[in-house]
Parts: sequence; C-alpha cells; structure tokens
Amino acid sequence: MIILVLLIATALAFDFTNGFHDTGNAMATSIATNALKPKTAVILAGILNLVGAFLSVEVAITVTTSVLKIQDGKTGSLLAGIDPSTGLTIIFSGLIGGILWNLLTWLFGIPSSSSHALFGGLIGAGLAALGLAGVNWSGVFGKVILPALAAPFIAGLVAACGTWMVYRLTRNVAKKRREDGFRWGQIATASLVALSHGTNDAQKTMGVIALALITTGHLTGNVKEDGLPFWVIASCALAIGLGTYIGGWRVIRTLGKGLVEIESPQGLAAEASSAAIILSSSAAGMALSTTHVATGSILGSGVGKPGAQVRWAVAGRMAAAWLITLPAAALVGALSFWLSNVVKNASGSDLAGDGLIFVILVGLSGFMYWRAQQQKVDHNNVNADWDDTSNSVVPADERKSKVVDQPTASV
Amino acid sequence: MNYLEAILKVLAVGLILGAGLPAIFAIGLVAFSKGSGGVANDGTTTAPNPALKFAGLLLFTLVAAVIVIAILYITKGTIQHHFGFNPVPFIPK
Repeated sequence: MIILVLLIATALAFDFTNGFHDTGNAMATSIATNALKPKTAVILAGILNLVGAFLSVEVAITVTTSVLKIQDGKTGSLLAGIDPSTGLTIIFSGLIGGILWNLLTWLFGIPSSSSHALFGGLIGAGLAALGLAGVNWSGVFGKVILPALAAPFIAGLVAACGTWMVYRLTRNVAKKRREDGFRWGQIATASLVALSHGTNDAQKTMGVIALALITTGHLTGNVKEDGLPFWVIASCALAIGLGTYIGGWRVIRTLGKGLVEIESPQGLAAEASSAAIILSSSAAGMALSTTHVATGSILGSGVGKPGAQVRWAVAGRMAAAWLITLPAAALVGALSFWLSNVVKNASGSDLAGDGLIFVILVGLSGFMYWRAQQQKVDHNNVNADWDDTSNSVVPADERKSKVVDQPTASV
Repeated sequence: MNYLEAILKVLAVGLILGAGLPAIFAIGLVAFSKGSGGVANDGTTTAPNPALKFAGLLLFTLVAAVIVIAILYITKGTIQHHFGFNPVPFIPK
C-alpha cells in the first residue's frame, strides 16, 4: 500500500514535469510575438490544461492496454507470472525513467517528447522484468513509434501550407491591422493547443495510475466501460495544470526564439495546425507526442513564410534528442528496475527496493533543479535575443554575469 | 496499410482544419479590413463598406463555430458517459 501511494505520487510528479516541459508547445509562439504577456500565457495554459484533462479518456485507455502486457486484454486480470509487487515496480521504474529524462532535456532547453520519455521508461522496465514478451510490440509500433515518425512531418506540412496561404491572402492588408487581427487569432489557437494538450498528455498519467490500480486489484481492467475514478482524473488535471503554470521557460525560449523568429500570422498557422492534429489524434486514441507536433508546426511556419530563416542547427539538435529519448528513458527505467529488484531480493522487503529508487529519483531531480537555478531562464529573459554563436538556451547576458561571479580556481 | 490509412486521415483532417480554418480566418480579416476602410499599404484611402465588414465578421463566426463543434465532438464520449446525451447528433459516428 505504501508503495502504491509512492507510485501515485511519482506519477503525479511526472504529470507535473510533463506540464512544465510542454507549456511551450502551446504558448511559445504567443509569448515570442508578445500577443500575450509571459505570465498571462502560462496562467491561461494552466487553466486550459486543467479543463482539457476532463474532456476525454481515449488516450488513457491506450496507455493501459497498448504499451505493456501486464493485464489480460479481455478480462482485465493480471497475466500469469506477474505478481502485483513486480507490476508496481515496473510502473514505478518506468516513471522514474520518464521524469529523469524530462528534467535533463529541460535543463538543456530541448523540447523533447514527454510521452516518449514515459513510454520509453515503461518499455525499458518491462523489458528488464519480463523480457521481450512483456511489451505489446504491435501496440507500441502502431500507436507510439509510427505516429512519432509521421507527426512532425504532417504538422510541418500543414503549418507550411497554412502559413503560405495566410501570408498570400493578407498581403494587401495594412500591417498594423494584420498584426492585431492575427494576434487575436493566435491567442485563440494557442488556447486550443493548451486544451488539446490536456486531452492528450494528462491522459497518459491517468493511464499509468489506472494501470497501477489495475495491478493491485483496486480497479477492474475495463476502463472503457467503467470510466476512471474521479479522483484520478482530478489529481492528474491539477498536476498538469500546476506544472504548466510553473512554465518551462527554457523550453519556451527554444521553441519561441530558437527555431524561427516568429510573427503572429506564423504563430496562428502553427498553432492551428498543432491543435487540429493533436485533437484529431486524441479522438482516435493515438498517444501522439504533442511536442513533436508543435515543433513540426513551428518549423513548418518558418518554411512556409517567404524569406524566413530557420535555425537548422537547433532543429538538428532537437531531432537527435527525439531519437534517443525513447531508448535513453528505457535504459533509466531498466536500471531502476534492476536496482530495485536486487535490493528487494537481498533485503527481502519490497519497500526497501522501491524506496531506494525513489530516493535516487528525488536526489537527481534536486540536483538538476539546482543546476538550472545557476543559469536561470524565467519570464524576465525568455524573449532575450537568441545567442547565435553558441545556440545555447541560456541568454548570453545571463551566462556572462555568472562567469564573473565565480572565482577562478587558479588564483 | 492500416497505418498508412490512419496517417493519411490525420493529414487530411489536419489540412482541412489546420490550414483551411486559418485561411478562412485570413479571408475574414481581409474582408473586415477592407470593410473598415482607411489607408491601405499602397497609400490609397478607401471608404468603409458595412457589407464587407459584416461578411468578415460572419467568416470569424464560422471559424469559431467549427472549433466549438470540433471540441464537442472530441468530448462526445465523456459527455455521453456522465450526462447521457450526444452533443453532436448531426455528425455520423
């Protein structure tokens, strides 16, 4: 029981990192074009995420059935050879993989996929515990890998078309009026993306908690028929809303300033493309990465605007991070599982193993938070000019001021 | 082939809603702006035209309506589960 509580707390912590990692997906362009003040933008996004989380449970169902083979697809009972304790450790380790990878990419300001971090962690822990048979490969391929490969391109294409048409159609409208009009449209579409983020990403954590509750027998396997307990939906909605409100300024900065210099018509086209794709895939139960969609859209809006410059070096670094997100989180998930298992066998206590990996998680998270505080990116400097020489997410001024502060070792 | 079909479907929906709606919004903006009159980019001044302005507002409303219906469609399952009615009966399953 203590382990279940720890696990739910960790799941909500993941949801929280998911929220602040992805604020930028919805709000980066509005912040970059000054359509919304940074603080207003994150409050709006937080509230809409909260609302969105209540709207649909399709994706949560996908998470309970399509990633790990823990429960029987028809009866919902546990498969032979898995006891609740092992099941919980698998999910726990998976969450740790997801959180640690999320924090690491946030530190570098890379908009990587929180969904892939979560699924990677779960797959890694599942592999470590059950071998190849523990993972639902066809589900993972069809509902995770394939959408991941296709989504950025679809989003980019749609956004490029949208941007091109929007610029073409409004080329004769007075500049001031055009900026004002699109600024409103941009706020509306950005809100839609925040809402859709709630319908897609908050669901993933709900799915994980549901999976844990199914494992311990607190919930029947048939989520589709019976729905989820209200407290699961409410707590996940709250966690993702709070996380979004805290705002991952590093990621917002990379998306809004790093990739393309964005004007409001581009912002509108990019957000409209993201919203349409995320919402339609939420309806289909596809656990799409909202990050991949948003990034693809923003890149597309740069390609579609005549004469716009895209920083492909930044885009390339992001693409590299995307490719390794799943395996890297899987590795962390697998290591956590092994560690927990070894301690469990040595001490004979379930709590010792799961407690140890929990302590490690808290320690490493604290360390990364501390590192981020050293060179801070927040709502004050989120729109500072992009440093083209280093392509670092930390603005040049912030880095210089910190270098002066620190005494050199060679004195 | 099943996967390819799903991807093409998302692409189609994406193009219609994700690029089509911004285009309608842009047309609305052009109409609204022309209808409001004033000085254009090339310096010519035009008189306000209420009919065009109204057409622009109509297009904005159309975009908003499509968005609201789309959201209701997404929430269909949840609304049906908790309140027992279908919010978008006019859309086939």
